[in-house]
Amino acid sequence: MAVEFDRSIIGQVFDETSFPPVTKEEILEFAAALGEKNPLYTDEAKAAKGPYGSLIAPPTLVTKLRAKKFTPEHLPKFGKVGFDGGRDLEIHAPIRPGDVLTMASTIHDIYEKTGRTGSMYFIVIRNEVTNQKGEKVAVIDHRIMQR
Amino acid sequence: MARILDLHLHSEASDDSRAPVEAYLKWLTRKRDERPLEGLVLTEHRQFNKAGDYRDLEDKYGLLILKASEVETDYGHMLVYGVNDDIISRFDFKNVRLSAQEVITEVARLGGIAMPCHPGRPTIGLIEHYQKKPPLEGVVGVEALNGGSKKGENERVAGLVQAYGYHAFGGSDSHLVSFVGLCATEFDRDIKTIEDLVDALRAGGYRPLDFRVQRPQTPLAPEVPNHGCGI
Repeated sequence: MAVEFDRSIIGQVFDETSFPPVTKEEILEFAAALGEKNPLYTDEAKAAKGPYGSLIAPPTLVTKLRAKKFTPEHLPKFGKVGFDGGRDLEIHAPIRPGDVLTMASTIHDIYEKTGRTGSMYFIVIRNEVTNQKGEKVAVIDHRIMQR
Repeated sequence: MARILDLHLHSEASDDSRAPVEAYLKWLTRKRDERPLEGLVLTEHRQFNKAGDYRDLEDKYGLLILKASEVETDYGHMLVYGVNDDIISRFDFKNVRLSAQEVITEVARLGGIAMPCHPGRPTIGLIEHYQKKPPLEGVVGVEALNGGSKKGENERVAGLVQAYGYHAFGGSDSHLVSFVGLCATEFDRDIKTIEDLVDALRAGGYRPLDFRVQRPQTPLAPEVPNHGCGI
C-alpha cells in the first residue's frame, strides 16, 4: 500500500492565475539575466528573420510565474519541514511579446520514498501554462519534499 | 550476449534521475576502454517500466539492456530481477514498507530473484536491520559494491558477505549519465536474457568489478621536514 491520503485531490485544478501580457522588455531583461546570447531572445530585428518570426522568450521564463495559491487549501501535511525538490519543465509553444499566459495548478502526484535519513514525501504540483490562443506553452512539475 | 553488466542504474523513468537510456549507451560506448561493459540492467525506483522498449537501442549500440526494479522494504532497498506479471500482481511496488521476507520468498516462487542493494547504507541497508532483527531467509546475494555509496558503506559489506555466505555483485546505482558502469558485475557465463540473469544470480559464479578511478591521496598540507626544532 502506498502513502495514504484522500486521492480525490489528485488532478483537481486548485488555482488558475492569469498574468499581465509578456513585454519585450521583460523578455530582454530575463535573457540578459541568464546571460543569453541567442538572438532569438536578445535581438528583435534578427529574431524577426528567424524561425519564429519575432522575438521569443527563453523557455524558462515560465519558471518565474507565481500562482495565487501555491498548494490547495486542504492539502494534508506529511511532515514538519519541507523544501523545494526541483522542477521538471516540458516546453511547448514559444512565448512572444504580448502573450497573456495563464497557469492552471493541480496536485499531480504524492508519493513516499525512503533514503539514508528515513522517509520522505514528495508532492508534485503540476502547473500547465497556456497562452491567449489556448495553446499549451509549458508543463512544470514542481516537487516539494516534506518529512 | 554479455558477461560484464551494470546491475543497478536508474533512467529518467525514475523520479530522481534525468538520464535518458540512450545517453547511458553513448557514454558507455565512449568509455569502453575504461568500463568494458556489455550490458546494463535498468532498476527503476518503486516500479517496473513495462512499457520501456529498448530493442532498437540494443541493436544500435550493441549492448544488452534488461529491465528490473528497485523496491523498498522493512529491511531496506532490494533489486528485483525477473519481474513478471505474477510478481507485479503480487506486490504494490509503490509501497515503501514491503515485507522483505515476503519479497524474497515470493519473488523466488514466482520466477525472479530479489537481492538487497547497498546493504551498508544507514536506514535503507540490510546491515543496520540485521543489527536489530533476525536475518532474512533465502537471501542469495547482496550488492557488495554500490557506486552511489558513501565512504565506508561498501566496506561494511565484506563482513556481511563472509558471515552469511552471500554472493556478491556490483552496480553503479547511477542516476547521472557519467556514472554508468563505474561499478559492475562479471559473470562466468553469458547473459542473453533476463531469465539467464536470474539463473546466473541464483547459481553464483559472479563478482563485483570496480572501474572507478582511484585517485592518489593528496596530503592536506605539504609535509614539513622536521629539523629537530622541537615543534
